[in-house]
Amino acid sequence: MRLHSAALLILLAAVSGQGQQDANTRARELESKGDGWGARTLLQQAANHGEPGAARDYAEFLDRHKDPAAREAYRTAIAAADGRESRIALARRLVLLDLIAGDYDSASKDLERYREYGGAEFSGSVKVPPASEAGPVAVVQIPGPIRSFSRMAALSPDLMPKDVLTALARNVVTNGYQASSSNEALEQTEYLKLVVRYLSQARELEKLAGAGKTIRIEQCESAEAADILRVLGYRMRGACGGDVVLETVNATRAFLTIDSGFPLAELEQALRTNRPFVYDYRPTEVPVLFGPEYWLSSRDKQGGVFIDVFLSDPSVCRLYLGLSKLDRETAEVLRKQMPAQKIRVLSHVIDFFGGMFQIRNGKAIVPGGAPSAKGWSDLVGESPDSGGAFFEKLIARDDGWMASYFDALARVDGPLQAYLTEPERMKRFYSALRGRVTSPGPARPVFRSNTDLMLLTTRLRVDSQGRAVIPGSIDVWKNLFINHPHGKYDGKLTRLATSWKEPDDVVEALFALCRKAVDNEPLKIFMALSDMDRRRTTPMRPETVDRLAREYRTYGAQYSLLNELPTLSDRTINAFLDTAKEISQIGNNELRADTAGTMQALAGLWQIFCRQRAISPDAADEALFELLAPFGRMREEYELFAAGVSGIKVLLKATGSTGSESPQDRMIALLAGSPSPADTDSHRQVVQDMMRIFEAQRLVSITSLMDLSEHLDRIAQGERLNTALVNRIVSRVSEINLPRASLSTAERNAFAFGYWTEKHIDNQRKLNLRAVIEKAGTDAEKLREVRGELAGFLRDTLVGFNYMHYAPPGAQVLYTNPLFVRSHDFLGMQGSVQTWRQTEVLGTGWPSSAGGRLVGSLSGLPYALAEAEQNFLVPTREQALIWGDLVPQMILSSKIPRWWNVSPSQVHWLALHLQYAESLLAESALNAEMRNKVLAELDKQAVPARVSLVDRLLEEGRVREALDNVTPSEAYGLSIRMLRTDAASGPIAVEIREMAKADPEHINYRAVSRAFGTPKPTLANSYNPELLNLRTFPTLMGYSSRIMAESWESSMLYYAALADEMHLLPSQLNVLVPEWTQKTVEQIFATHLEDWPALLRSLRHVGDEFRARTRKQFAAEQKASLE
Amino acid sequence: MKSLRRLGAVATLLAIPGASVRMSAQEGERPVFRVKVDMVVLAFNVTDNKGRYINGLKPSDFRILEDGIVQKIATFAEGNRPAVQVLEDGTTRPLIATTPESGGAGTASAAELRSDAFIGTNVFVLFDTSNYMYRGFVYASDAIADFIRGLDRADSVAVYTFSRNLNRASPLSRDRNDVITGLRSAVAGDDAALYNALLLTLRDASKVPGRKVVIVFSNGPDNASMVAPDDVRAVAEDEGIPIYVISTADATKDVTSSAVFRRISTRTGGKTYFAKTWQKQVEAFESIREDLGNSYTITYYPAQNPNEGFRKIAVEIVSDPGKKLRVRARPGYRPRAGF
Repeated sequence: MRLHSAALLILLAAVSGQGQQDANTRARELESKGDGWGARTLLQQAANHGEPGAARDYAEFLDRHKDPAAREAYRTAIAAADGRESRIALARRLVLLDLIAGDYDSASKDLERYREYGGAEFSGSVKVPPASEAGPVAVVQIPGPIRSFSRMAALSPDLMPKDVLTALARNVVTNGYQASSSNEALEQTEYLKLVVRYLSQARELEKLAGAGKTIRIEQCESAEAADILRVLGYRMRGACGGDVVLETVNATRAFLTIDSGFPLAELEQALRTNRPFVYDYRPTEVPVLFGPEYWLSSRDKQGGVFIDVFLSDPSVCRLYLGLSKLDRETAEVLRKQMPAQKIRVLSHVIDFFGGMFQIRNGKAIVPGGAPSAKGWSDLVGESPDSGGAFFEKLIARDDGWMASYFDALARVDGPLQAYLTEPERMKRFYSALRGRVTSPGPARPVFRSNTDLMLLTTRLRVDSQGRAVIPGSIDVWKNLFINHPHGKYDGKLTRLATSWKEPDDVVEALFALCRKAVDNEPLKIFMALSDMDRRRTTPMRPETVDRLAREYRTYGAQYSLLNELPTLSDRTINAFLDTAKEISQIGNNELRADTAGTMQALAGLWQIFCRQRAISPDAADEALFELLAPFGRMREEYELFAAGVSGIKVLLKATGSTGSESPQDRMIALLAGSPSPADTDSHRQVVQDMMRIFEAQRLVSITSLMDLSEHLDRIAQGERLNTALVNRIVSRVSEINLPRASLSTAERNAFAFGYWTEKHIDNQRKLNLRAVIEKAGTDAEKLREVRGELAGFLRDTLVGFNYMHYAPPGAQVLYTNPLFVRSHDFLGMQGSVQTWRQTEVLGTGWPSSAGGRLVGSLSGLPYALAEAEQNFLVPTREQALIWGDLVPQMILSSKIPRWWNVSPSQVHWLALHLQYAESLLAESALNAEMRNKVLAELDKQAVPARVSLVDRLLEEGRVREALDNVTPSEAYGLSIRMLRTDAASGPIAVEIREMAKADPEHINYRAVSRAFGTPKPTLANSYNPELLNLRTFPTLMGYSSRIMAESWESSMLYYAALADEMHLLPSQLNVLVPEWTQKTVEQIFATHLEDWPALLRSLRHVGDEFRARTRKQFAAEQKASLE
Repeated sequence: MKSLRRLGAVATLLAIPGASVRMSAQEGERPVFRVKVDMVVLAFNVTDNKGRYINGLKPSDFRILEDGIVQKIATFAEGNRPAVQVLEDGTTRPLIATTPESGGAGTASAAELRSDAFIGTNVFVLFDTSNYMYRGFVYASDAIADFIRGLDRADSVAVYTFSRNLNRASPLSRDRNDVITGLRSAVAGDDAALYNALLLTLRDASKVPGRKVVIVFSNGPDNASMVAPDDVRAVAEDEGIPIYVISTADATKDVTSSAVFRRISTRTGGKTYFAKTWQKQVEAFESIREDLGNSYTITYYPAQNPNEGFRKIAVEIVSDPGKKLRVRARPGYRPRAGF
């Protein structure tokens, strides 16, 4: 990154030369152009010159960009301020910044000064928090150091002591036990056996460590050395001194030694050098929820060791896990309310669905609030006024269905929650969900099985009249249930459908289907079509919706493409389906694969160009329609080639290409994101990365192919063969080699490229283009067939363009396997037609394949590429692994959005929102009234336990810790909601409102959502980036962490704020965000599949590193400029 | 083993288009070497027909051909001794000894290469810690530790481990204690993505100037790689990095994996050992160590060659007209695209 030192020098000269000119105005101009460093220097210089108001301007500028120098600048500004009001305002801000920085001593002093100046807004006082948490905490001991135990128990070393048992409980529940092969009992898995063995070894070492809790070996030839080595499973080979080497003598013990991270190498080195070996072997103390007594039975209390008891009983672990998800008050009430045996039996329900329970002042907080209280009371059979009894009955009822219903409704808010919690409707939908047979309940499996329910309640749309929005019409859904082309979904619902009249009838049926363990197709159809309609300017016609619903099973994966453009006409949607159908009917497998590949690749390019605004929304519909037209009724490869070329021309025309550039260059520039970027450095890098892939895949330039095609026409008219042109393609084709030749017979038999894929590659490899052209002579018919030979190349290049655009950071597969693009299988394995299905990764692991490849359509290409690439990322933390299902989504979120057209002001506006949330939380520590308002808003996005934690931390004065417990996405949501209220005031709120007012077209939530949102192919059926400000989802059955990852919007918000803080041009994010994402992924050390705090830690770590480096660089450049 | 007292030759060929050397006469008698993209580094062993190493050969004993075109040798090194510059008349002179701070003063070239870049070998040990290796994990760790301790002082060594993901347990270092500490920190478990990990190791190795090898310690199965062995092998060929494999599995148990191991090692100039027992593993490491200590390293700039595809390399020993010396060489490399 290059800072703006040249501009900086000019500005310095201007400041010193022009004296009192309005530096602030000029700084604002620079800021809006993205030259924040220049603005900073200008204001700093003005402040140094002592110009009136300059100190304040400088301080406020630093504050706006979260510069650590802001607090010092505020102090200077306060000293220079001449008015009382001004001094109060500055001092007020300084107090908040002190709290945000965690500098409580300064905050205390500055608060005093603020009051001395006459400030009266903050009624509270700054509490300097003690080093550890307040209050006595019951702890238990675990033998040996925490690092070793964490390694053995697969816990993140970053866990706070208070979280260790919770994380351990989760691992025991999910990985600790398995069904026994011989009887019905559960038996320990290898994971848990190793933990137990480790504890045994640790106890032996503890004994050797003695009262001093230190393992000490004074010299090599000693009894202690022999004893310790015996426990470790090693012995010495060679005489003491330089020759001594430790080698395994007891493999079981040695394994524990190594796996637990005992410092064996240090011990060996000490023995070799005959120096003392000293190792602190104090046991680890970890806090226990409710104290150890609660978890031990009367028999255990008489000699059982807590950790052993804990590990030996998965139901204890499940309950511990469940109760630790509740806020303190709620957990305490439930514990007292329910007998130990009963609560343990229901621990699975509490674990999955207790997280949204809240008891305040003895009353249950229910979704829908007071208007729904009666409804809940009727459903549960207990009034919410008796919080403990209410939740006891709720979880004890129907094997968890009601609890899951409560959980799902508690996660939404606003009009949707009001709709769902209307008492009569609530009862009706619950009844449908519950059904007659309640077992097995949704909390029985290892993952929550109420995925569909959560998706439905989160994504259902409600209109301004408070009615559910049904895509198309009710008749469409009636028809679907009654006359479904693939058979009945549900006999009862089919009968009921005949009488459907209201939207609620359809929604009730969807609730009823949510309880089904099998694939819930109607819900998927409903959500897909609802999402399509949600984004559209005008709803789709009922007949289009009807067709989309009926053809979902075949073409549903393509709907995200049709969802790209809000103005896509019904005509084009139908044309797409018609074309897809006609392609599916092509009898010749090779031609069908080539046609589907070419058509999908062109449509994929159209999608990319629409998303990047390279095709204007006005022209987009016509462009897709025109592009699709030639693909119907394809009979010959030469027709396909012509259709492909026609599609390229349509795209180039729609993107406003003038024809002066070669089609290849123009296409690459468009794919990079902007054909004429202001930031050429970043653009060049993006283009270069794409070209490396183009070269690695030995793709043939579309310009060469189009030129050759035209040349063939001219040959037919008598022109001589252009050998240079032909050779260009021939030489590229000659580089395509199949690895088969070098394989042994056994390998060849195991080799599974896929018959048609291999044939596709083989055809190209064997093609002697020059000979074919020469043989054709000037025969137009034969030359046309030659053009058909080029169709496969054109398909590969167009498919390759899609791959290049979505290539993940690193792109090892694309650089290493030169046939990766060509091996895309558009047909699928024998017996399964995958031409229009989601892209899948197949063939991982040798020797079952020739390397992994992608199968299916291109619709899920971004995710599939990221999935293929994720395991090439290298975790930087010992023992960490790449987090499958979460990481692909993170990767594609970094690759799909592009920031060429985002303005610095938009970035700054977003960053101000995050800053505003910080200020609100800081202020809450000093203002109880504000705290209530802020926490009430935070509660709409964060789970109750965390809101309660933040509340407690603020109460205790731990502002910094409280801030660390709020995600960027929650902070953003909090700001938005608070800005809608009268409570929003202060300089940041004013700045946010003024910026929006000054440029409403660009500075608005929609624009920011598009710029810094994430694609949500599962949650929103679209790859279009957007911010939905949702609660972070838990891990869900059937999706693992994928939906959680899609609901995680914090990374992009964090990066945007980081960019603003470091005065980056938004266009630089095109290069930096993929890099940051890769680093973030590699830094994560998560303990389980919902461990988003680990992700947040990693994100902040990467940001801190970048900040430190950039500031250092700026300081060095500033110094050099001044010199 | 420093004299030419045995017949036969085993040549291990290292062709490293990404890390090669160009001379600059800016310091009079003491040339400075810089890495350029079109240079080739070859490392090879010479043995007689009984597999005994042949030492003491001189630059003039070798003729290097690329697609039949004779190449001019730029530098020459034997074993772990410092490389020497080979002059036009076939005589040699020492290279400049520079430190990272002083190297290339005045040129500010990031790609500056110290003469000691060719002293010793950069050894990358890739240790399989997947579920498949669970049983033999500790013995393997011992064998690797022994191997590291026994390496020549001049060699640098890195230990990487892998299961589903790669872990850089210990970066390249000459400090044996650091490396063994990294090795002993390995954690066992999870799927095996051997070829993914091997690819990433080769990518790391390719960034290091000088001679390098990768030693894979695995029992073979791979259930998670996205890349095929032969694509990885091609990278090793192009980067000029021999792959040695120590398989803890019986060669006859999994014939496919055994064939793959043999092919990737042979085609890259390395060797495969099937060493099921700890003792055999120690012997395999000993053999590799000998291979490394008895190698020759030659660098050259490829002469004009229109072939942008696979270039076949041959090492001829001109002092062996009877062709009694056995030459086992990699077939060649693909020059890196000039993009």
